Amino acid sequence: MKHTRVAIAGFSILAVTTVAAVAHHGWGSYDASKPVTVDGTILTSTFENPHATIAVKAPDKIWTVTLAPTSRMIARGALADVVAVGKTVSVYGYPSTVEMNEMRAERISVDGKTYELR
Amino acid sequence: MTDAAPAIFAALEASGFGAAIRQSRWLYMAANIGHIVSLMVFAGAIAVMDVRMVRALSATSPAYVLKAARRIAIIGFICLVISGAFLFTAEASHVIMNRVFQIKLGLIALGLLNIALFEISIAPKVKNLPPLTPLPSGARATAVASISIWIAVAICGRSIAYF
Repeated sequence: MKHTRVAIAGFSILAVTTVAAVAHHGWGSYDASKPVTVDGTILTSTFENPHATIAVKAPDKIWTVTLAPTSRMIARGALADVVAVGKTVSVYGYPSTVEMNEMRAERISVDGKTYELR
Repeated sequence: MTDAAPAIFAALEASGFGAAIRQSRWLYMAANIGHIVSLMVFAGAIAVMDVRMVRALSATSPAYVLKAARRIAIIGFICLVISGAFLFTAEASHVIMNRVFQIKLGLIALGLLNIALFEISIAPKVKNLPPLTPLPSGARATAVASISIWIAVAICGRSIAYF
């Protein structure tokens, strides 16, 4: 029947787009089973949407640390000058399974204060 | 910023408008909320039209239902495009290279094509139909295609962040 065929075609589109959601990166691709704590100095800081980002120079390597959306950062008190270049920070979070030396921060400690970012 | 994208998208992202969206405390968030609310308005109106074209609500005058819902769908679509343009501009060079976004654009084109097909070949035949009369052939098929395509567009939209 014609309508059945159209329905099958329609739902095939749905299925394909859903099934396509398997690999690659995004918020799902951080390994929560291997949390890391990175201590170091902020080299660069981008306080922008969709997520604030900092580069932290740790003893062994430079980490790209993805923080929270700026509105949440501000709501938690982690303003742009808290995560400014030159600050010494301690970041707890999860390493990316896709990008080398990139992590998503669960919380960040600056100047003796800890900011929850989730 | 990624160099893989065509220069125009890198320029769009690097523009003052792009920077303003990224650096504003509320603009990106507002665009995000506006996009989902617009989607609800649009999808709701589209669903009403599609449901009528699959012979539900058959005691209503089809053209009357279509006319009322069409107006809301157009408003919803315009708001979707505007809020979407804000979200896109903030990360243009990345988003344009995103496979799911590319699929989404294709599906939107398909959805609009389906609407054009419906408005040209089916809507005129429905115009003077009284309630409880059979609909022209193809009405049901375009309606099923419509709701499927727009749901797929929504799935792609939400999936952009995960690819």
